[in-house]
Amino acid sequence: MLKLGLRSVLAHRLRFVLCTVAVLLGIAFVSGAMIFTDTLSAALKKNFAGGTADITVTAVSQVDPGTSGALPATLTIDLANQIAAVPGVAGTDPQLLVPGIQIIGKDGRPIDNHGLSAYGAGWPHHPQTAPFRLLDGEAPWGQAKLALDQTTARREGFELGQQIKVVTPARSVSATLTAITTSALSGSAAGAPLVSFDPATAQLLLLGRPGWTSIGVAVQPGQDHAIVKEEITSIAGPDVTVRTAAEVSADGENALDDTFGGFSTVLLMFAGLALFVGAFLIVNTFAMVVAQRSRELAMLRAIGASRSQVTGTVLAEATVIGVIGSTLGLLIGTGVAGGIQLFYQSLDLAIPSTALQVSAATIVTSYLIGIGVTVAAAYPAARRAGKLPPVAAMRDDLVVPERSLLVRLLIGGFMLLMAVTLSAIGLGTQGLPGAVLLAFAAAITLLGIVMTSPLISRYAVRGLMRPFGRQAPVVLGRRNAERNPRRTSATASALMISLALVSGLVVLAASAKASVDKGIADAIGTAEFVVSDQGGAFSSQVGDRIAEVPGISAVHRIRQLPGTVASTPVSVSGVSPGTLSGPIVTRLDAGSLDNLEKGEAVIPRNLANQLKLSVGKRFQLVTSTGKFPLTVGGVIASNREVNAVILSLDQFGAVGGAGTDSTLYLDVADGTDPVQVRSAVLAKVSDYPSVLVRDQQAYAAGERGPINAILGVVGALLALAVLIALLGIVNTLALGVVERTREIGLLRAIGMDGPQLRRMLQVEAIAMALLGALLGVIVGVLFAAAIQQVMAEDGLSVLDVPVLQLVIAIVVAAVVGVLAAFWPSRRASRLDVLQAIAAE
Amino acid sequence: MTAELVEQAVAIRTVGLGKSYGHGETRIDALADVSVEFGRGRFTAIMGPSGSGKSTLLHCLAGLDKPTTGQVMLGELDLTKLDERSLTHLRRDRIGFVFQAFNLVPTLTALENITLPLDLANRKPDKAWLDTVLTTIGLKDRLGHKPSELSGGQQQRVACARALVSRPHVVFADEPTGNLDSRASADVLGFLHRSVREFGQTVVMVTHDPTAAAYADRVLFLADGRLRDELLDPTAESVLDLMKQLDGTD
Ligand SMILES: Nc1ncnc2c1ncn2[C@@H]1O[C@H](COP(=O)(O)OP(=O)(O)OP(=O)(O)O)[C@@H](O)[C@H]1O
Ligand SMILES: [Mg+2]
Repeated sequence: MLKLGLRSVLAHRLRFVLCTVAVLLGIAFVSGAMIFTDTLSAALKKNFAGGTADITVTAVSQVDPGTSGALPATLTIDLANQIAAVPGVAGTDPQLLVPGIQIIGKDGRPIDNHGLSAYGAGWPHHPQTAPFRLLDGEAPWGQAKLALDQTTARREGFELGQQIKVVTPARSVSATLTAITTSALSGSAAGAPLVSFDPATAQLLLLGRPGWTSIGVAVQPGQDHAIVKEEITSIAGPDVTVRTAAEVSADGENALDDTFGGFSTVLLMFAGLALFVGAFLIVNTFAMVVAQRSRELAMLRAIGASRSQVTGTVLAEATVIGVIGSTLGLLIGTGVAGGIQLFYQSLDLAIPSTALQVSAATIVTSYLIGIGVTVAAAYPAARRAGKLPPVAAMRDDLVVPERSLLVRLLIGGFMLLMAVTLSAIGLGTQGLPGAVLLAFAAAITLLGIVMTSPLISRYAVRGLMRPFGRQAPVVLGRRNAERNPRRTSATASALMISLALVSGLVVLAASAKASVDKGIADAIGTAEFVVSDQGGAFSSQVGDRIAEVPGISAVHRIRQLPGTVASTPVSVSGVSPGTLSGPIVTRLDAGSLDNLEKGEAVIPRNLANQLKLSVGKRFQLVTSTGKFPLTVGGVIASNREVNAVILSLDQFGAVGGAGTDSTLYLDVADGTDPVQVRSAVLAKVSDYPSVLVRDQQAYAAGERGPINAILGVVGALLALAVLIALLGIVNTLALGVVERTREIGLLRAIGMDGPQLRRMLQVEAIAMALLGALLGVIVGVLFAAAIQQVMAEDGLSVLDVPVLQLVIAIVVAAVVGVLAAFWPSRRASRLDVLQAIAAE
Repeated sequence: MTAELVEQAVAIRTVGLGKSYGHGETRIDALADVSVEFGRGRFTAIMGPSGSGKSTLLHCLAGLDKPTTGQVMLGELDLTKLDERSLTHLRRDRIGFVFQAFNLVPTLTALENITLPLDLANRKPDKAWLDTVLTTIGLKDRLGHKPSELSGGQQQRVACARALVSRPHVVFADEPTGNLDSRASADVLGFLHRSVREFGQTVVMVTHDPTAAAYADRVLFLADGRLRDELLDPTAESVLDLMKQLDGTD
């Protein structure tokens, strides 16, 4: 059977070209992602194989503070001394390593680390236990000295002895470069830019208080590390991990991995979508090929092949295509991974080059998925082929027996009903759970439409094509689209799914942007300027200095850190007195804002609902440094600027907040020129080049930025899906031309000219494209609007349907339908009339 | 005066028409030096053994195929000089064609199939003429049906109606009754015959059947791509006789 399958694929190469392309694209992304991940981790393992300390003791945060205004969990010097007394310990080295530093480049701007946070460290006390190594120069003991990792120094062109500016959470400093080091050799800072200071200076600049983030332990020679580790664990207490060097390197957490690991996630998403949409194309191809070859297949049955043998030949063809597609996909995937590797190497980060790692697992997975998807998609057609009655070989006007549409319609109808029910429940559920339910309902709706679409297409095509007139080529094209509803609808379905995603996303993004604008406009009151920093939290010095600027009447601070309440992630804000009644407009629902100064918390309505809290209730807040009991002192209406558990600045410090600000709201005195005041403010904070001073509009524009960034990535993802869906239209048309060779010959013989032939195929393509685009846009917009409804309290207060963009999407779909007809119609118009008429 | 008369009397003619396939050793002359005239308002049948070049001649006459040598003159127009596009439009507007089978577009109804050449030309059908044609084929009650719902004979009659509807200069039919039984054949041939008698249509038909040929005014005999003989006002018997005679000389 495989031989027959192979022969058939070779004989009908052209019919399978696009099938192969669909498999190839999907597998290219699958294998690209796997190869890239393997290569990256091989490179990182090679370079960052373990720290030098025998045992590392690390403070564990309940909540990862990241680069927010939260203090990292720290260890005391007492613990270091206790560990030093453990039998078998040769020495301890308390270490400090925290993210959130900015290195100012030669142009006065913070240097770009491509998404990696630069780390600040205290200089190690002993080289044997140090988390990084000295490569050149002398240790930066004493004030106004620092060390820098080699990769960053080389890339930025810093030389020993040079003055270098860095901005730490505490303040902006300038110091002499006295040493070049490696990056951190293990743990989450491995591979990231690293600035180190004298330990005391580091504590001052990075923590603003004493403390250490980890303790490196040297074990006496000949002692069993595991036993020593047990001893240390027993005295270390909770919220501390104790790991041997081997365990640290096995954990493999790494800043580079986090940053570039995202690539493979994106690639896998591409792969999933490509294969899903591609499956429609494969289903259609096999259905058409089986229909075209039904006489030949029936002949096989007539001369004695069993049902399963006939099914087998078709599946063998699918296997051949799966193998070819996977092989080519693997090759291209290797290229993709190589391309990404070249890209990140061009960034000149601390990643060594390694040969591309094409593992056996990658190869096996690629073939399994490639062949699996193709065979599964071809199966329905293969089964139908097996059911062909042998007499079909003798008949002329034969139709492949197709399962009645009824079952399909019933299943589809049931799914649509289920989707409606789910949507109703979803609409009744506020917040994220409601949105998730609705997204799920949207997926079921799409599947339901796919199932019922033969019926839908039967009626929709006629209506859609009405505006195109009643000329003969238009009528013929439309009839061709109506002729096989399964085929038309399967082709349109691929486009529908892509466009549902596109339009849903477009609506959600537009709504998110409009909501940002409205949220900011509603929330910001008297504040003339909003000060923030690209790097996250910034030194309180910035606010102190701005307060001195003439014309600034008040500086209001908001500080922020991440936390959890009852396992729900929340944001925690510290606000200076008066911030919520003027600069930021809040509407009190219950309680009083005055309770803030009593150490109580104020929470917005949405959070109160979500956590089921009300005034007077007590709750426990978990932050990076511990657990804290709090009382609700007031509930305010939901507010974009302070969508958090709000505390006074004092209380914020008590729950682990650092002395860094996340946002400042500036009031400008009456009668002063805001433009002049702004220049004065900027001049005052010139030490902090990444600090932004923006008016309300500029601030809103900045806050909209990340939405655009997400939109960009997802847009590329969907462009691929739309492209494959359009290949599906090309495929259906091209196969249709093959199938209708004789009919086209007849039309040519009785006087249809080239342009008319092209028009006929274009109309068929437009019918499929419009059907898919319209259904997709309708589903996408409806569910996006529903999701906005349930998320209204959670940041999506405004529904914005960008009609123009959606109309453009539909028009583009139709235009691309026209383009899709180009190649098939060229083939069709080049058919020799007489041969076409004689064709079987 | 005489030239004009001759021109009017001849619908289409060939001059030294030749068509060959392949080169050198494998060369086949499907047609060799065929010069023939087809009278206006006449029903001409072409006969000959299989492979004698009947279809090739018909295709060259209808502008479906390009001859290797010679000319095809439709009035003063030399078809061999036309490009593909002009030939297409010529077939649409001035020539009707009926194939042996698969004449109809399956997605269109019988009526839509009949008016297709006019629709393609963006022309309105001449109501009276269309009515006449439809009455003549006698399928008034089946016009809304798709080809798959019509019998073979009905399909061929629809195909003939389509060939006539644009009032072409010539209607060509290649074995139009080849797949039909004698009753259905009689229907189709009767229809072609009437179109010649009553409407002055010019028809050229290829056939293997002496009975079918007897409907024509004149029968041409082809062998090995050459014109061998002809018979005026044929009957089934006289055609059969001549066929036997020609067989004998081979
Ligand atoms: N495309 C082609 N390539 C090569 N030879 C061809 C081609 N078409 C026709 N021929 C040859 O030309 C000759 C005439 O063919 P034609 O189809 O005109 O015969 P015919 O008289 O119509 O026969 P039949 O009664 O079987 O239909 C035959 O020998 C045939 O093999
Ligand atoms: Mg023939």
